[in-house]
Amino acid sequence: MSMKEGKQTGAGRPGYEIYIGLEIHIQLLTRTKAFCSCRAGYGDEPNTNVCPVCLGYPGVLPALNEEAVKQAYLVAAALNCQSAALTSFDRKNYFYPDMPKNYQISQFYRPIGTGGYIDYPVDSGIRKVRIHDVHLEEDAGKMIHAGDVSLIDYNRAGTPLLEIVTEPDIKSGEQAEAFLRYFRSFVRYLSVCNGNMEEGSLRCDANISLNRPGAGLGRKVELKNMNSSRFVRLALEHEVERQSGLLDAGETVAQETRLWNENRDATILMRKKEAAHDYRYFPEPDLPAFYPDEKFLGQVKQQLVELPLERRLRLQQEYGLSIEAAAYLTIERETADFFEAVLKVLQGGAEGFAATVYNWLNGDVMKELNNRNLSLGNSPLSPKRLADLLLLLEEGRIHGKIAKKVLSLIFERDRDPEFLIADEGFEQISDDNSLRKLIEKVCSDNPEALKQARAGEKKVLGYLIGQVMKSSGGRAEPQRTRNLLAEIIDADEEKEEKAR
Amino acid sequence: MSKEIQQGTEKQNAHVQELNTALGAFLQYNPELGKELSLSLNSNNSDNQPLSGMTFAVKDNIAVKGFRLTCGSKMLEKFISPYSATAVDRLVGAGATVVGKTNLDEFGMGSSTDNSALLRTNNPWNTDYVAGGSSGGSAAAVAAGLVPFALGTDTGGSVRQPAAFCGVYGLKPGYGSVSRYGLVAYASSLEGIGLLGLDIGLLKTSFETMAGLDAKDQTTTDMACFRKTSTNRKGRVALLGGLEGLSPEVEEEYRSVVSHLPEIGFTTEEVRLPFLDYVVPAYYTIAAAEASANLARYTGIRYGLSDSEAETPRELTELSRNAGFGPEVKLRILLGTFVLRSGFQDRYYLQAQKIRSALRKSMADLFQKYELILSPVFPVQAFPHDSDQLDPFQQKLADRFTATANLAGVPALSFPTGLRNGLPVGMQFIGPDGSEDLLFQAAASYRRIYEPEHPERFIGRSEREV
Repeated sequence: MSMKEGKQTGAGRPGYEIYIGLEIHIQLLTRTKAFCSCRAGYGDEPNTNVCPVCLGYPGVLPALNEEAVKQAYLVAAALNCQSAALTSFDRKNYFYPDMPKNYQISQFYRPIGTGGYIDYPVDSGIRKVRIHDVHLEEDAGKMIHAGDVSLIDYNRAGTPLLEIVTEPDIKSGEQAEAFLRYFRSFVRYLSVCNGNMEEGSLRCDANISLNRPGAGLGRKVELKNMNSSRFVRLALEHEVERQSGLLDAGETVAQETRLWNENRDATILMRKKEAAHDYRYFPEPDLPAFYPDEKFLGQVKQQLVELPLERRLRLQQEYGLSIEAAAYLTIERETADFFEAVLKVLQGGAEGFAATVYNWLNGDVMKELNNRNLSLGNSPLSPKRLADLLLLLEEGRIHGKIAKKVLSLIFERDRDPEFLIADEGFEQISDDNSLRKLIEKVCSDNPEALKQARAGEKKVLGYLIGQVMKSSGGRAEPQRTRNLLAEIIDADEEKEEKAR
Repeated sequence: MSKEIQQGTEKQNAHVQELNTALGAFLQYNPELGKELSLSLNSNNSDNQPLSGMTFAVKDNIAVKGFRLTCGSKMLEKFISPYSATAVDRLVGAGATVVGKTNLDEFGMGSSTDNSALLRTNNPWNTDYVAGGSSGGSAAAVAAGLVPFALGTDTGGSVRQPAAFCGVYGLKPGYGSVSRYGLVAYASSLEGIGLLGLDIGLLKTSFETMAGLDAKDQTTTDMACFRKTSTNRKGRVALLGGLEGLSPEVEEEYRSVVSHLPEIGFTTEEVRLPFLDYVVPAYYTIAAAEASANLARYTGIRYGLSDSEAETPRELTELSRNAGFGPEVKLRILLGTFVLRSGFQDRYYLQAQKIRSALRKSMADLFQKYELILSPVFPVQAFPHDSDQLDPFQQKLADRFTATANLAGVPALSFPTGLRNGLPVGMQFIGPDGSEDLLFQAAASYRRIYEPEHPERFIGRSEREV
């Protein structure tokens, strides 16, 4: 796979070098919480997935969930990190009402992964971002403010979070947005997170500094409260403007934390550096260090999959797809798997079919899925069914309009296309006898039109064909119908001429 | 239950209540509640389990389902535990019954039990004197014969020192031998659940019942990995040099014990343990650091004392802690926060960890040559309540013999060696990892020299009846 540097996009203000780093938190998809056996689920009744451990009751101890550690090692490996031969946990001390112990179990001294990188697509190019570290920690609960009271739901408290810290290698808000879109895809491919920024299963803070070229990093400003990749872009773009404005005016940028305010389309000051937390990290005495053994690492390796960018490049090469088509097909692993499974059923004509399958997936299939609020994975449309449908079309047994109807029926009735066209009588009518009967009926019902057709009016011919199609429920094979109708009109003319 | 037994039980309970009024050993005495717990845990309820018929007391910083879990603090005065510690579950599962919860220095921070915010505990040998601490309630209950054995916790000597003050045996198991699940954390890397009692056989059975791996405490170790004894060290006891600052009584007692050891087959040799002078600073630095995080959970939000006037979460936390924590607890939280500040860790916390590692190594080296170490438990005997013999700072310095075992994570057992001026004195054996059994054997051998006595006013009922 060749990884070329893409063209510089959104390269910021002339005269300044821009350094953007991201801190991404993903909620891991484990069955239970990071340190107790409560369900790690979302959307349940408040405070139902809780126990003395995740509520931080006196005397409880954390017990590390190995599945969370495994997913963390998987992400670290997929990000080309150095995986720790010994990883351990630390206490990060800060007070927050929804954090039961008032310290967070996190990793500071020996994170699970360090020194990695990830390639991601921007426009038609590919860029690289280095990864500083990947570390595992626990999430806090959720505070809900209702009037003059605050309520706390601890269902989320203690669920496993993975934090991925990038180096400041991103150069624009646009690149940051592209990176996050790709990262969403990346974590979904690995089945470690559902990657939903709006719901907060994927969260992103950013840091940004500007400086004269060659002068190294500038004063870093941290940005928070951006719950979509678009807001990340907008906040960063706003900061580029704000900071370069300050620098242009000969002022300095203050090292501080700012919040994105979507109503004002601006970042606003949250706290100055002096007010920053001192987290007083120290090793977590309740958890022994974790040493991944051969078996564990083997299981991690087994879960490594082809990542979305690799797959996009392969689909382009293997099936001759355009970047757009391959990019669309590889956003979700499910789509790409489905696409390749359809082509496998259709084997042989793969090259020719690839674009067709893409068009169907991107068009009618997506429409059906959206209408029914389904995804490829949980829909009645299997790759085999789509392939069969496309073959029926290819063989001329049905035509395009019917094919779309059959697709809808597959979703409605959950049956194979062969069954459906037989059951619904959808097969195209192409034998001359049947067609002739249909045509004769139409002609005798429309004597006026027939007369006009005989007089050579082309429009009327189209009308008659339409009537045949209508009376056949759209099943009459159009070309054959046209030929036969022409024959019958001519024949009649001959007959009449003879009669004269 | 027959009427006679029931009446007998009631009479016995009333007797304990009466004695407790004089001693202040129990914060909560409720054998009925303990029986209910036993019934709920013991489906087979057979009489031939290892601890059938045994009753025990639990220090009130160890969780017992349905009992209060006050930690001797106003913060948790009304808190009822929704679960039981693993050690308690195992003892109850083996037939023993909890009778109540014993007093302690608030959150285990102290050496006299006078730091309890809820109750004063008196020494059964002389009720004007302290029982020691922080497991003072358990030591007093055992010494007065109210229970045959009790659970304590030992972070820097909190089982062994009150045991010595009250004239009973006190085991601090090696770190990881007994699950800490359910022990309310003060200094997580140092503390553990220990045992106090007068019957060594019973203590051994209880220890073996509690010990071993627990999925809820991943710092526990499998005791089976220690089953190897080497013979070339057999009977060799190292005597710690540098024993300045002992009271004349303790010093005389110590010399006497040393002189008796050859009679029971031990040879002695004086050694110097480097870093002994640094044990207390290192111990208090680490303990305070861990305490500052461990006690951060008491905010008045989910449980415990909660200020009703507060208008913001921050205010709620501040007011609740201000009212809920005593001065010693506040001091240690502040100290711990101080030593963990960024930029200062190198000077304090990391320095303390280095001392700890060095101490561990020198202890391990000692155990290459010696089977056990002998030392006093505490430089002085039990002192009177409110005495100025030891101010809070001197009390901390006095932890140097006991805290050594906590820093090294090894087991240690304090045993009664005699009476001086009508008050008990105790010494301790310290052994390598996994040597709890050996410690019991050594203490049992010493019974040939000295049989523990009972305070006159509180006749050792438990020993006769059990």
